[in-house]
Amino acid sequence: MRALRPFLAVAALSLGLIGCGGEQNTAAPEARPSSSAWSFTDGSGKAVTAEKTPTRIIAHAGEAAALMSFGIKPVGIYADESIKTDANLKDLDLTGIEILGQEWGKIDVEKAAALRPDLIVADWWPVEKAHSGFEEGVDEKSKKLADLAPVVGVTQGKSIEDLARGYEDLAESLGAKVDSPEISANKKRFEEAVARFKAAVAAKPELTALGVSPADDKVYVANPEFAPELLDFQRWGLKVINPAKPDPAFPYWETLSWENADRYQPDLILWDGRGYKPELNTEWGAKQPTWFKIKAAKAGAVAAWPAYWLHTFGHFATELDKVTEAINAADDSVGD
Amino acid sequence: MISTIPVRRAPALGVGLAVLLALLGAVAFLSVTQGARDIGLAEVLRALGGLGVNEEITGTVTLELRVPRTLLGILAGAALGAAGAILQGVTRNPLADAGIMGINAGAAVFVVFAITVLGIQGVGVYVWFAFAGAIIATLLVYTIASLGREGATPVKLALAGAAVTAGLTSVTTGVLMTNIDALNELRFWQVGALAGRYMPILTGVAPFLIAGLVVALGLGRALNGLALGEDVARGLGQRVGLTRTVAFGVVAVLAGAATAACGPIVFIGLVVPHLARALCGPDYRWTLPYSMLLAPIVLLLADVLGRIAGAPGELQVGVVLGVLGAPIFVLIVRYGRMSEV
Repeated sequence: MRALRPFLAVAALSLGLIGCGGEQNTAAPEARPSSSAWSFTDGSGKAVTAEKTPTRIIAHAGEAAALMSFGIKPVGIYADESIKTDANLKDLDLTGIEILGQEWGKIDVEKAAALRPDLIVADWWPVEKAHSGFEEGVDEKSKKLADLAPVVGVTQGKSIEDLARGYEDLAESLGAKVDSPEISANKKRFEEAVARFKAAVAAKPELTALGVSPADDKVYVANPEFAPELLDFQRWGLKVINPAKPDPAFPYWETLSWENADRYQPDLILWDGRGYKPELNTEWGAKQPTWFKIKAAKAGAVAAWPAYWLHTFGHFATELDKVTEAINAADDSVGD
Repeated sequence: MISTIPVRRAPALGVGLAVLLALLGAVAFLSVTQGARDIGLAEVLRALGGLGVNEEITGTVTLELRVPRTLLGILAGAALGAAGAILQGVTRNPLADAGIMGINAGAAVFVVFAITVLGIQGVGVYVWFAFAGAIIATLLVYTIASLGREGATPVKLALAGAAVTAGLTSVTTGVLMTNIDALNELRFWQVGALAGRYMPILTGVAPFLIAGLVVALGLGRALNGLALGEDVARGLGQRVGLTRTVAFGVVAVLAGAATAACGPIVFIGLVVPHLARALCGPDYRWTLPYSMLLAPIVLLLADVLGRIAGAPGELQVGVVLGVLGAPIFVLIVRYGRMSEV
């Protein structure tokens, strides 16, 4: 599970790729060559077109979940971890869908080719300038997936709201109905969750939070700038701390030695939700001598942070309520 | 060979040992005072003196992070140095080290077993599996090499070690290819590091390491005998088989416990005995203690270097040693007298 995106600090080389994308941000989807052709503006800014609307789709895990929420069933899915534990996929019925990978960076391209896909759907990661599954560090063999069909995705940019809406647009372009009662219900649930979140934050204006992912040899502090859900939290009023020196080569995080675990003192710890369990806090307190030097950890002010996996309003609503609950329970003077 | 060392060198060699001991003390001091966190000397001393421990993080970092790490570095380094010297002596193979005897491969396969089959996580628990695996692998290598009339000859030991290593490594690789969680847990252990190892691990392996080191110090005379060749050793009244068995037992405990605690640490066991011989000559009564002091000096220096070079994070000591060890080894091959084990 630890092999997920932010732990592969291999992006140094991707710096050389800066300048390859983003120039065509304004390419309008209306500019279709003909009425029967399909077009979608990718997260990279490029307009992707096809002779006919794609129907045989291979999608990355969370993107697949987003499409399925609009009734579009992909023919194949590749995930970064077991589909039984993947936060996006674990509750979905995947019968009839070919599973092409359950490990970061490993995709069975031969199996994928047999599915004759006409579209591959994967998030665009602006920091790495790559789609999910095609980043630096992924097997070269796996990257050949891109030869099978055009790749499109919404950008992992500044907000999960934008991301979810982007996949709604994509689903609509692919012919899905996006106004089903279930979808509107999830949107309403999301709006209510945001209102509750804002109210909780407003009641504790001094409360600070910190995105954290502890590991055996280091502590990773999240940089909200590249975590859209943390940016959403900030936009709704929560003071999520920005680390002072994010790692230059992989700015998702600031890596701290365990000796410096206490560098930031938030009132609430937002713990990387991938693999999070409530009892972890006590466990880490016992095995890492400096973990409880973060006062919020010692006070047990810890909540799951839905790190880098949200794609739908429904999931966001559920996760948001958990954070709201933790904010309501938190003491805004713990970290002072 | 022993006779070529003039007796009057003993005082000089004794002074050399004292100098190394002082050096080790200095390096240990560096290891406790230097790190990713900037802690003033006064605060370190206050923490070591037992004042202001509980509430301040400087005390926690000094006493619970750096002191165990330094002590583990000293003990594990001494163990790897001694194990390397003994192995090179008993197998009469200048390239022998713990890795060649299958110890790393055995420890790794048991760690993977603990993670995948038993679902164990955390270095504090699977250290015992690593230890057991290291000892079992050594026994296996020794047993295979002992088959046949002439017993565990150096050539048979090297071949058995290579075969067992290959076999165990393929098992490990096979499991890892299908289990990503095991790979991630193993990665932390397999780099070879002193970071993240705290008191429980130190107190767990320390008794084995200390006992092993004491026994190792007593092996000098017997190893000198073996160095003359088996027949001469027998002629001098030495029980060659017994010497070998004891020596391998000590190596299994020393290298096994050190590898279990820190992961496979390269080059120390291979290079340090050569450095020691260059300083003190081929008499094992001196080579062993010299190796035991030189090895932790090198290990701790590499660890401190990794902390400084990798700031604000850290470079694992295994990586630093790999980078530094290779050119040093080339120098030894080029200018040293490798064959004179």
